[in-house]
Amino acid sequence: MVKFIVRRFFLLLITMILVSMAVFLITEASPGNVAKNVLGAFITPEQEQSFLAQMGLDKPAYVRYIYWLVGSDWLADNKVGMPLERRVTEDGFVEWWAVRSDGARLRWKLEGDNLVAVAKLPSVGFTKEYVNNERWETAKDGSQYFWGVDTANHVVKWEKGTDTEVWSFVIGTGWMKGSGGPVEYIPLKKGFIRGDPGVSLRTGRPVSKTIFTRLRNSLVLAGIAFVLVMPVALLLGMIAGLKEGSLQDRVLSIGGMMFSVIPEFATGIFLILIMAVWLQLVPGATVFGEKAPWERLDMLILPVLTLTLIELGYILRITRASMVEVMKSPYIRTAHLKGLPYWRIIFKHAVRNALMAPITVIMLHVNWLMGGIVIVEVVFGYPGLGKYLLDSAMFKDINGLEAGAMILVLLAVGTQLFADIIYTFLNPRIRYS
Amino acid sequence: MSNAESITAEDKTALEEPEKIPPRRSLFTRFIDAAAILFASKTATVGLILVAFWVLVAIFAPFLTPYTPLEQDWKAPNEGPSVSHPLGTDELGRDLWSRLIYGARVVLVILPVSENVWIPGGTAIWGVIVALAVGTALGLISGYYGGWIDEITMRLLDAMMAVPIILLYLIIMAALGASAINVVLAMTIVGTPGIARLVRSLTLDIRTREYIRAAETRGESPWYIMFVEILPNARGPIIVDAMLRVGYAIFAMGTLGFLGLGIPPPSPDWGSMVAKGREFILAGSPWASLWPSVAIASLVVGLNLLADGLREESMRYQ
Repeated sequence: MVKFIVRRFFLLLITMILVSMAVFLITEASPGNVAKNVLGAFITPEQEQSFLAQMGLDKPAYVRYIYWLVGSDWLADNKVGMPLERRVTEDGFVEWWAVRSDGARLRWKLEGDNLVAVAKLPSVGFTKEYVNNERWETAKDGSQYFWGVDTANHVVKWEKGTDTEVWSFVIGTGWMKGSGGPVEYIPLKKGFIRGDPGVSLRTGRPVSKTIFTRLRNSLVLAGIAFVLVMPVALLLGMIAGLKEGSLQDRVLSIGGMMFSVIPEFATGIFLILIMAVWLQLVPGATVFGEKAPWERLDMLILPVLTLTLIELGYILRITRASMVEVMKSPYIRTAHLKGLPYWRIIFKHAVRNALMAPITVIMLHVNWLMGGIVIVEVVFGYPGLGKYLLDSAMFKDINGLEAGAMILVLLAVGTQLFADIIYTFLNPRIRYS
Repeated sequence: MSNAESITAEDKTALEEPEKIPPRRSLFTRFIDAAAILFASKTATVGLILVAFWVLVAIFAPFLTPYTPLEQDWKAPNEGPSVSHPLGTDELGRDLWSRLIYGARVVLVILPVSENVWIPGGTAIWGVIVALAVGTALGLISGYYGGWIDEITMRLLDAMMAVPIILLYLIIMAALGASAINVVLAMTIVGTPGIARLVRSLTLDIRTREYIRAAETRGESPWYIMFVEILPNARGPIIVDAMLRVGYAIFAMGTLGFLGLGIPPPSPDWGSMVAKGREFILAGSPWASLWPSVAIASLVVGLNLLADGLREESMRYQ
């Protein structure tokens, strides 16, 4: 069993790595341009190039993938010659600093030909700027260069005395023109496996901060739907299965089939038209602003109802099939022949075995359920993970997309593993080796 | 019933007297038999009517409406049903009935390759066909050769199946860009692993039969054995699986269109019609989102009723 879990866990890791590579490669190969997405369609080629360089997007794909996966700070440490430190400010932005041996935190910027250090002393608590020209190093051909941390979280190689005109874009500030200066950027990040999925190209904020709120919202939605749907679907499925071929059974199973095969967006539209436009009972869209979803429960009704209807049909049909099969098995006939009362046979003998299949199949169904959630979120404008993923994909925001994709894969494969393990407890005959 | 009995009777005589092989029944009688099974089931009949409605409407679309799907009438945007526009108009004053039936055309009858070129067979149908071709080839190869080819193919396909389908669609379509060909490609990538697994398991079973041994002893090439000996004998479950996949392909196509990842506007696509019409629901014109939702719902329900009814009836005969 332990061996089985370890093996599956290993497979999960491999799947995640494969998916992350595939996302990188596909995004890489696709048309479209992230610089134009961020900055608008009317940027000059120089501006575009500078933006791509600052984002590290001019590097080859495998280098970017490695930076994304394991970070770039360990590489930059050596170049700067000081340890680097990542800090999150009070308003949620990430800052990188170089730490001097006395504990002071340093960053640099270029003003004309002068290298200016921005220092923050933890003991004093204020920021000090001073000219720091003694750090220039001389290369073999006589030009001077310096590797340091700039104020926008890159490790930069500055060169002195070159005439190049450089445009730099700072998210939130705009375009800044400078002379001479930066020739190579390494954007600083800790890397995904060290817990930093990077900064969203779309919002300029750390992905991790947004994505957990979004994930929470999606889980609230799915969780409420799940709690509602399970007892109802299992009960209806058992009723249909016990009376196989009756009118009730036909109505339930055909009705269930209809709800589960109609695309989520169509179900959503029907519900909006009936409940929100015609009967005017509940709002037809979700607007939460800064509030958490559970503070506006009336807005949750329609999304939850849509998800519930879709899942209801699916679980109902599986439960029905499983119930029908169990009721035909010899041990139920034996129970009948022993003269046990009907309800005792059902509750004591049939139900436990009949519920085994649905519970595990539902776990395997999580993969599909996610698709439903994405659509429901888009239909109702619900601020969940699915919508975040869609927006990131459309924007070519690779950091947002990768993080969202990893969470989805983790959830999908994780629940499958969980289902397999649960199954061994429900059905002791099964052994994994 | 009588037909089914006569078949078994024929089969029995064939077993007893091998030299007297009964004549193969004509295509026509077999068709009549299939139709009899179909109409014996109420659900299958209802399903067939729904599907036939959309297929016919899609084929004869140009004769069923005076408007083209792109014709705009700026004097009549977002109108309800009227005599001149039986289902109403959308936000640009385009006739909804015309867009609906041309939308059915794209799903079921034609695959628009570029603006002026199209090939017969709907986008959803092609999605299934191409996935079937690729999946079958992969399944046959890994099932027949086995060994490390099998191991690598299957682990890769397992990894693909572990990825949530919606994520695959999102990434593929966002990367490739929206077009009918890319929709087919996305459906292929998503559908292949399932088909390959099915075909592989069938191949593993058939590979051990005597006639495969015989073919190998004759010195037939592996390709001949895979595609001439194994594939025809595995066709039953593959065809059933493909039928179910058509329904799902239509579902997926609608979903992609709704997310803005399907066939690009202004061509009539049910999913994108719903997405656009949704913006005008609260402005008081529900028609543009209602009709395409009804259309896609009725088509997929029809297909599923048909498949369910057929399965039930054929099981009764067995």
